Amino acid sequence: MSISKNNLILYIGILTFGIAAPFLFPAFKVQLSILCVLIVLATTWNIQGGEMGYNSFGNILFYGLGMYLCASVQVGMFFPLAEWTESGGEKTFVHTPTQFFQGMAFGLLVAAFVPAIVAGLIGYSILGLRGHYFAICTLGLGVAAGEISGGIEIIGAGQGFTTPPFPDVGSLDSRGEFFYFLSFFVLVLTFITVRGIYSTRFKLILNAIRDNEDKAEAMGIETMKYKIVGWMISAFFCGLAGGIMGGLVGYIDSTDVAFDGREMGVFMVLMAILGGKGTLWGPIIGATVFHIFKEGFWTFFLGWQYVALGVLIVVIVIYFPEGIMGWLREKYPERFGEVVDEKDRKAQVELK
Amino acid sequence: MRLNKIILSFISALAILFSTSVVSLAKVVGDKIVLGAAISLTGKYSSNGVHTQNGYNMAVDRINSMGGVKVGGKTYKFDIIYYDDESNPKRAAQLAERLISQDGVEFMLGPYSSGLTKAIAPVTEKYGVPMVEANGASRSLFTKGYKYLFAVLAPANLYLDVAIDLAVEKNNGKGVSVAMAFEQDAFSQDVRLGVLDAIKRTGSKKVIDDKLPKELNDMAATLVKVKQMKPDVLVVSGHTKGALTAIRQISEMKVDVPMLAMTHCDAAKLSKQHGKNSQYALCASQWHKTLTYKDDFFKDGMTYDADFTKEFGYAPPYQAAESSAALLVFKDAFERANSFDQKKVRDALAATNMQTFYGNIKFAEGGQNVDKPMVLFQVMCDDAGKCENKVVAPTKWASAKLIHPIPSWSKR
Repeated sequence: MSISKNNLILYIGILTFGIAAPFLFPAFKVQLSILCVLIVLATTWNIQGGEMGYNSFGNILFYGLGMYLCASVQVGMFFPLAEWTESGGEKTFVHTPTQFFQGMAFGLLVAAFVPAIVAGLIGYSILGLRGHYFAICTLGLGVAAGEISGGIEIIGAGQGFTTPPFPDVGSLDSRGEFFYFLSFFVLVLTFITVRGIYSTRFKLILNAIRDNEDKAEAMGIETMKYKIVGWMISAFFCGLAGGIMGGLVGYIDSTDVAFDGREMGVFMVLMAILGGKGTLWGPIIGATVFHIFKEGFWTFFLGWQYVALGVLIVVIVIYFPEGIMGWLREKYPERFGEVVDEKDRKAQVELK
Repeated sequence: MRLNKIILSFISALAILFSTSVVSLAKVVGDKIVLGAAISLTGKYSSNGVHTQNGYNMAVDRINSMGGVKVGGKTYKFDIIYYDDESNPKRAAQLAERLISQDGVEFMLGPYSSGLTKAIAPVTEKYGVPMVEANGASRSLFTKGYKYLFAVLAPANLYLDVAIDLAVEKNNGKGVSVAMAFEQDAFSQDVRLGVLDAIKRTGSKKVIDDKLPKELNDMAATLVKVKQMKPDVLVVSGHTKGALTAIRQISEMKVDVPMLAMTHCDAAKLSKQHGKNSQYALCASQWHKTLTYKDDFFKDGMTYDADFTKEFGYAPPYQAAESSAALLVFKDAFERANSFDQKKVRDALAATNMQTFYGNIKFAEGGQNVDKPMVLFQVMCDDAGKCENKVVAPTKWASAKLIHPIPSWSKR
């Protein structure tokens, strides 16, 4: 992967901004952490929805799985999990700072790898479905996971799961800073990985699958293998994002926080489409714009925020069908390194 | 690559937007004490969220118009910043963070429902922000060692165990068979645990133990089982939607059961919406207008009922009453602390021992109100079809006698 000088400046600028952000806007740490998680979700969704042409509503499964796994490991490493989640329990368990961070680190590892493995297993059986069938099937995955986890007593069932509270270290701001940097780190990791694979043959194969899967197969590409690996990469980062989000929210509910297909599951699709699917920067820009609009509507149109959000979606679909990146590309093709042959363009316009 | 410019300018625009939108309202501005609350104005708890908000607003208006809060020889007025938590715990936790770190709120009022309170409590606890909540009854809230959480209501496990006791009493002290159907959420599941305890204690047995989904619109499968098993008691809990669904389908399917015990009947305006179909339903309630508690602001339950009905156009369910009581508790604590120091206010709250129109309030170590028993009322209708909720237990407050067993549908 080669980085041009201009790009290097851009990345360093963004990295500096990312590191400085919690200190520049100390009151917005939680929103910024959530923004990082949203970007991770949108970017990884884009691997399926944008590059591969498989509209997956099932990525929320990995996110929720990561959330439960991370919290369970964090608690279970040091205390009996069943007693922690029991609602009538009288005991109070408190993590020491070392226990908390150790648990979190190990929990995040589990939260990343297990969903990836699950994605591999599920992917093997359902990635043979195409188009709408795949979308509907994955939609069912998230819903089913929510209902099942709502019945498992050891992770709190319908009572929900209170994640370990942040220990008393440093100042009041340290919790916010910890979760921000954690999510920012995962965001950077995701970006590097995704950018890496987008510059290899792997991306071209994904695109080939999107454009014509049968033809890709006919050319000797083992499409199934690539589809599964792609999904596993998404699951890896979705799981990480979920684990962080669980700690950040502090309370896991089966259908409202973890397997939140109705919100997060839809938002990740929306953000990628808003920014422009099938591009590297699209999901990032989409998530940022979406998050800012959502927070804004929430403050200024209280009670009407979903109406405002609905209007935004309609506007996007009508005026930016290709997303913000697609719109920019059409408007300023030369900035995207495309050479426009003026004569040819005119000829085409005249033909119409 | 020119694209960089676009992205860079986008980021700088973002930075400017962020830096200009930091507005910090201090908790006490001029003569105002600003409280923060995340309320479910949309989503599955929206009807109860509105009851909660109405309860808060009613008390704020009343306290402000009757002289406000006197701290350090100065009079302050209450003001509340509301956000909509969309009945979502994730959103609620974010909003608590936002109220505290962005809006500078130093005192909080609770949201609606146990799940959302569970999401907010860790945040208020971290910042040491005292929160008086009126709608989070799950027992697990009070066993986490929270120091800044105070609940004016009795814990959820006490909601319906009285009903089991009543049924056993009517069965000459012998155990009864109980069918249970509970929504999968923190509150209802805790009610279930209370019922399970009562079943064990009285030597009864459970014959059905169903979990219902969160968006509760259909429980026909459970009711079919009830028809077959013929239990002595059917217990249902699932917030407002649960109460409405249960009554609708029980009357449609003509399910005969000697005792039907539920929660949230008054919040669902059952007697109004379903009239005679809701007759004989037994409901757990934190408060009823006929209880004889008194205070200086709302006088008593009957007056509160009349004033609330006049202002909002419907009779106050207990969710509204307990929410109003939360502000009375705050006012009392501020005046006793005579300060806006969060620690002092917290200590004053912990030492609360007062009577309000809603009931006595005294907090245990874990923050739950231990000085206020639950009541059970039964929906009773006259021949003209006008229905009313009448307290039947405990005996001290009873204004009518329990009708038991419920007459079968064929005889109604």
